[in-house]
Amino acid sequence: MNQSGGLSYDRYTVDGSSEWMMRIGPAEAPPIVIVPPLFEEMNRTRALVAAMMRALATRGFGCWLPDLPGTGESDRALEDVVWEDWRAAVTEAADHAAAASGRAPLVAAIRGGCLIDDAAEGAGHWRFAPVLGASLVRDMERSGLAGTSWAGYPASPSLKAEVEAAVPEPAVRLRTVRLASDKADADGKIAGPSLWRRSEPGHSPALAEAAAEDLAAWAKTCAVS
Amino acid sequence: MVAAFNDEEELLATLRAVLADVLGLDEARVAAFDESTELFGALPEFDSMAVAGLLTELEERLGILIEDHEVDADMLESFGSLASFLRAKALK
Repeated sequence: MNQSGGLSYDRYTVDGSSEWMMRIGPAEAPPIVIVPPLFEEMNRTRALVAAMMRALATRGFGCWLPDLPGTGESDRALEDVVWEDWRAAVTEAADHAAAASGRAPLVAAIRGGCLIDDAAEGAGHWRFAPVLGASLVRDMERSGLAGTSWAGYPASPSLKAEVEAAVPEPAVRLRTVRLASDKADADGKIAGPSLWRRSEPGHSPALAEAAAEDLAAWAKTCAVS
Repeated sequence: MVAAFNDEEELLATLRAVLADVLGLDEARVAAFDESTELFGALPEFDSMAVAGLLTELEERLGILIEDHEVDADMLESFGSLASFLRAKALK
C-alpha cells in the first residue's frame, strides 16, 4: 500500500501479455492515465511526463503511465506490435486504473498519444500538442538523413502504415492544449519549448508545472476528484 | 491544423521560435539573429540530428511541406537563406 504518493510499478495485461505501468500518487486517488508520445518523442519527453505526474500527485491525483507493448520495459518486440495492440493497451491501462481507484480516469495524451487515446472512454480527455500520424512518419523517415531510418525503431510495415493514416479522433469531454508558439486552434495555450523535437533530451520545469495545472483543472471539471 | 501565414513578421518570429525550441538556444540570442547569421555548420547545436526536428517543426507551425530534395547545406547555411526558403513556401 502506497499512501505517500511515491513512485511504484504495476502490471497490466494486454492480449494475455503482461506490461508495466508506472504510478506516481496513491492507487486509490482520483486517477489520470497518461498516454505517452510515440517512438523517439517518448524518450525526449520522459522528464516532462515524469515532472507532470509528480506535480499532479501533489495535487491529489494518482497518475498512471503505461509502457505500450514493444516499448519501455515491455517483453514484446516492437517488430511484432500492431496498431491495435497500442489501442488495446490504452483501453486496458484505463480499466486497470479504474479498478484500482474505483473511478473512471481522465485520459491525458501527449503528441502521438493523441492518436490512440480515444481507445479509452474515461471520464474525459485532455490532449497536449496533438500531432497527425503523417507528420510523425515524416519526422521518422527524415531522421534517416542522419543515418538511421526510423531513428532505430524497427516498426513493422503494418504499424508504420497505421501510424501514417492516424489522426486524433473525436473524444468526449475533450480539452486540447497546445504550445503558445503553435498557431493551430486549441482550447488553451501554454508557453514553453517543444521538447519532443530536441535531439538532445531537454527539460522545462515551468512547462511541466503549467501543463499539470491545466490538466488538473480539466480533471476537476470532468469530475475526476 | 494548417495555419495561414501572410505576414513576413510572423514568419520570422516563427522561425526564431523554432530555432530556440528545437536547438535549445537562448531566446535573446536568437532574437539577435539577422540575415547573415550563419547556422548549419556554424552553430554546434545545429547538427545533422537536429535538422529533421527543425524541418518537421517548421512544417507543422507554418502549414507547409518540405521535400527532402529541397534540403541542402545552402538552404540551411544562414538565417537569411532559411528565411528566404520559407518565404517562398509559406507566403502567398
